[in-house]
Amino acid sequence: MKTLYLKLKGRMMMPAIFLILFAMAFSFDSLSAIYEGYLNILQSPSVLISDYLEIGGLGATLFNVATIMLINIIMLNRLKVKMSGPIFAGLLTIAGFSFFGKNIFNTIPIYIGIYLYAYYQKLEFKSFMIVVLFSTGISPIVSYLIFGTGWPFYIGVPAGVIVGIFTGFVLPALSAHTIRFHKGYNLYNIGFAMGILSMLYAAMLTTLFGFDLFVFGTTTSEAYHYELLILTLVLSSVFIASGFIANRKVLRKYPKLLKRTGRAVSDFIRDEGRDITMVNVGVMGLISVIFITVLRIEINGAVMGGILTVMGFGAFGKHPVNSVPVMLGAAFWFLLSPVVTGDPAGVGLAIAVLFVTAIAPIAGRFGVLFGIFAGFVHIVLTPFTYVFQGGFDLYNNGFAAGFVAALLVPVFEFLKKNVPEEEME
Amino acid sequence: MKNLELKILTKIIRELSHFLLVHGFKTFSLETKVEDKVTYFVISIDQPKKALLDKMNERISRERELEVETYGWELLGDMDDKNELDVLGLLIDDIVIEEKPNQAVITLSRVSRYKD
Repeated sequence: MKTLYLKLKGRMMMPAIFLILFAMAFSFDSLSAIYEGYLNILQSPSVLISDYLEIGGLGATLFNVATIMLINIIMLNRLKVKMSGPIFAGLLTIAGFSFFGKNIFNTIPIYIGIYLYAYYQKLEFKSFMIVVLFSTGISPIVSYLIFGTGWPFYIGVPAGVIVGIFTGFVLPALSAHTIRFHKGYNLYNIGFAMGILSMLYAAMLTTLFGFDLFVFGTTTSEAYHYELLILTLVLSSVFIASGFIANRKVLRKYPKLLKRTGRAVSDFIRDEGRDITMVNVGVMGLISVIFITVLRIEINGAVMGGILTVMGFGAFGKHPVNSVPVMLGAAFWFLLSPVVTGDPAGVGLAIAVLFVTAIAPIAGRFGVLFGIFAGFVHIVLTPFTYVFQGGFDLYNNGFAAGFVAALLVPVFEFLKKNVPEEEME
Repeated sequence: MKNLELKILTKIIRELSHFLLVHGFKTFSLETKVEDKVTYFVISIDQPKKALLDKMNERISRERELEVETYGWELLGDMDDKNELDVLGLLIDDIVIEEKPNQAVITLSRVSRYKD
């Protein structure tokens, strides 16, 4: 039993989470319902926001999440990739976005593209593993070209696969470059890189082919709110309990972690230890639950994706001190928006309250008030970046966060010249 | 040597210079030796604080991670606080600190893993 726990701890509980999700899939729906729902998921154009809970049902969605997790866990094991903070964040992000946009069908061409880039550069494929795990945020371009254009399959399938491979091929170089744009203050850097590519694809499809990219609209299902709320609480509890089992005095390590700015590349597993990182992951899950409960946001696939991503980045830059201020800034506009515009706050704003934590390092570096302001600017910008990138970049908040960080960080640096600098302890 | 490796070496030199200047060293020497696959960075500084050397050793002696290197090497040289040696630590294979009276010689080494 102890050996099993140590193995699970070494993999940050990921195999256990896979098993929980897999078991849940079959406890909610019959085999035939899962099969039918899963086929619907695979054939969906998957552009933002395509909630697989609505398209395929809870059982099929959980099956999709679990299988994609399994494939990636197997790949990481085969390549002997260490479970570092960014790898853990990548895995939980994949799990999260498998609720609304990622499936086995649309992710593979992108992986092949990155593999070809590594081969071309004469580098190990595993050295691009962080890009690999986050790359599938642009997978809707594959599904859209195959199922969303109305092209016959003999054109759509090659077009989707070729564009997917091309996207994977250019992404490592592009993402290494874009990280300089925001100086690491946007934790979803690859989302920003993919947003730029998506913008190009959206422009080409609209201008050259005359497609209306927003014809599919937004599909969400809030029918499984309580099931997913319980799942989040269970997962958060598992992580917190695991941290305490590993080290009863684990909380003594928390103040040091909370002092980190979170700016990329902040690997909490490597720098602070697995025990306190697991506690932080669980705490970030609970904070997400508190925010959605207070704001009366019901959990759909996209919101669940946001929660899992926030938890994942609990190992790679996010903690309560740097995340809550930006979430408060976003929550302020979420509450104010219906009053100002007269329309209820949509799912885009709801998920932005969670995904705004992409810019948590801004609060970590400049403090609470600057963080709140940055969170507010972020949520106001996200609807516009969505239109720019046509919905192909599932990490739309990462795209927006890149601009927010690039815009605000130089201004904040100018305003706050005497930033307290950490001294060597 | 591959162009990517040359870019990374240049960034390491910039990061080290920035780090030393941020910590108030007005006189220091930074020598670079490139030998086939291994590059050495030899830093000589006068009267360093013990805490600084210990922290450098702790941050840089961690295991090199190629996955993080390919992802975040472009951030090198953009240090925002005095403590940010995390990215540098990911790109260095070994650190040796030789303490002499009122002086320290720090030797960092990096093995190129990029094929030409």
